[in-house]
Amino acid sequence: MPVFVRAAAVASGGAAEVVPDVALPAVGGDWMERAESIARAVAAKLRAKADFDSNIPCFVGSSSHFIGALEMQKDPALDPPAGFARRLAGCFGAGGPVVSVDTACTSGITALGLAADMIAAGRCDHALVLGVELSNRLSREGFAALGLLSAGAARPCDRQRDGLVLGEAFAALLVSRSGPWRIAANASAIDPAGLAAPAPNEQVMAKAMRTALADARWRAGDVDLVKLQAGGSPTGDLAEARALRAVLGHLPRHVSLKGAIGHTLGASGPAELALLIAALARGRVPPTEGFAQSDPELGLAPSGGDVGGVRRVLFNLAGFGGSVASVALERA
Amino acid sequence: MIHLAAPTVMRVPAGELSARSRDRFASDLRRAGGFAQLCLLGAQACLDAARPGGSLGVLWSSSRGPVNAVRAVLAEAASGEPVMPFSFVAIQPHLAATILAQRGVDVTRAAFVRIEDEAWPWLLAQAASWLETCERVLLGRVEEGEVHQSDWCLLQRESPGILCEPLAKPDHAVPATAADWLARIAAAPGRLALRGGGEAWRFTPT
Repeated sequence: MPVFVRAAAVASGGAAEVVPDVALPAVGGDWMERAESIARAVAAKLRAKADFDSNIPCFVGSSSHFIGALEMQKDPALDPPAGFARRLAGCFGAGGPVVSVDTACTSGITALGLAADMIAAGRCDHALVLGVELSNRLSREGFAALGLLSAGAARPCDRQRDGLVLGEAFAALLVSRSGPWRIAANASAIDPAGLAAPAPNEQVMAKAMRTALADARWRAGDVDLVKLQAGGSPTGDLAEARALRAVLGHLPRHVSLKGAIGHTLGASGPAELALLIAALARGRVPPTEGFAQSDPELGLAPSGGDVGGVRRVLFNLAGFGGSVASVALERA
Repeated sequence: MIHLAAPTVMRVPAGELSARSRDRFASDLRRAGGFAQLCLLGAQACLDAARPGGSLGVLWSSSRGPVNAVRAVLAEAASGEPVMPFSFVAIQPHLAATILAQRGVDVTRAAFVRIEDEAWPWLLAQAASWLETCERVLLGRVEEGEVHQSDWCLLQRESPGILCEPLAKPDHAVPATAADWLARIAAAPGRLALRGGGEAWRFTPT
């Protein structure tokens, strides 16, 4: 049974044509209150676009869950993260089953895959997918300790790129049996060397892309647009460029959104998907913030502009620990 | 139809985890953290008890996840110390699948999930979906405590194994939780029906 993204809403940073539905409030105050306030604002935007039943299942993808709240407590009570996911689902009026998903930076896309499986199997008609990554010290210091952060700005695909810049996002996708974008495939792979490597290797990324194309029954030339994983990591962007060239040969238009919103880790899948779908609905691919000088080793030249004719999008993600995903999206 | 093979129920006293992990995996899991070690001990025991096979999905759940590592890293941060790389690695529960892949297992899909206690039937239904693309699905429940739990089984389309069937009417099924459903199946001498969250499954040895 085909599965579609019916509606999406997102709170995130933004720049130029990357326009979130909800602007993030300043960091500060009670962490949990801020999270729920953002959740309610995103829920209102989503419900304005499409309604859903109160028994809808909810899949919450995050790499840090509510650790930001625990950091603020002197003697933190380590409640199950499923409880946090239930609270967020409640902000959306979603009273069905709740599943909290953690596969690091691909968490939100893994959550989307689980939701799509449930619909495809006929176990529900709609599902809510949340991608949640809100400010916390452990993620910042953890990525810094691993040497993955930029000293300055995110420069996806740029010759001067020197690492990731982390961002915040709270995204919601309503997945359904109908909608404007069909999920033609949601492929994943794991890089066995990913535990120690700063980025997945190109063969593993290529494997995920090839699987997505095969599952979607697309040929390489069918792809109109590639949403890059690229966040400005020297090795990660290079691995993706090589994988893309191996799989697609001639590259169609490609874009990274991480220069505009930062790398939003477990939320990045739903957040970037929501922002991209909104941009395509306006008929334009957003420019890649931070990209100025092409790197001959990469051979990537992300560009924005009018794209009324985009029908098929290859949507790449890769995460800490070797988790890789490639989603094929087709305009219905 | 799906079959459940090699149900593996493992209990490890907290103080013995490092030694058990070292005995089974030499030193190569030292830096992965306690939760990953616990996952791998149970998962590998399950795979060892099953017949060799092809592509594998890994779907495992917990209520609290790597709670000891989270507690340690929060204490580290609260003391004003910078977070150390391997402290950060230890709070990433999904890395157990990467380590399995490192050990030569053909892991094609993986998800670590936290579910509510009664929601365990969702795991079986989800595993059945994955069996459309994976030959086998390794299903686990891992929980840290004074005595750690690492329970696993292998789901596959073909027998041998325990036949798993969803029941339309859960009335006569016995209530079970995410923490104990697999242990109940492992201990059952014959057919068993279990329910959780309004759904029920029947398990029939073949």
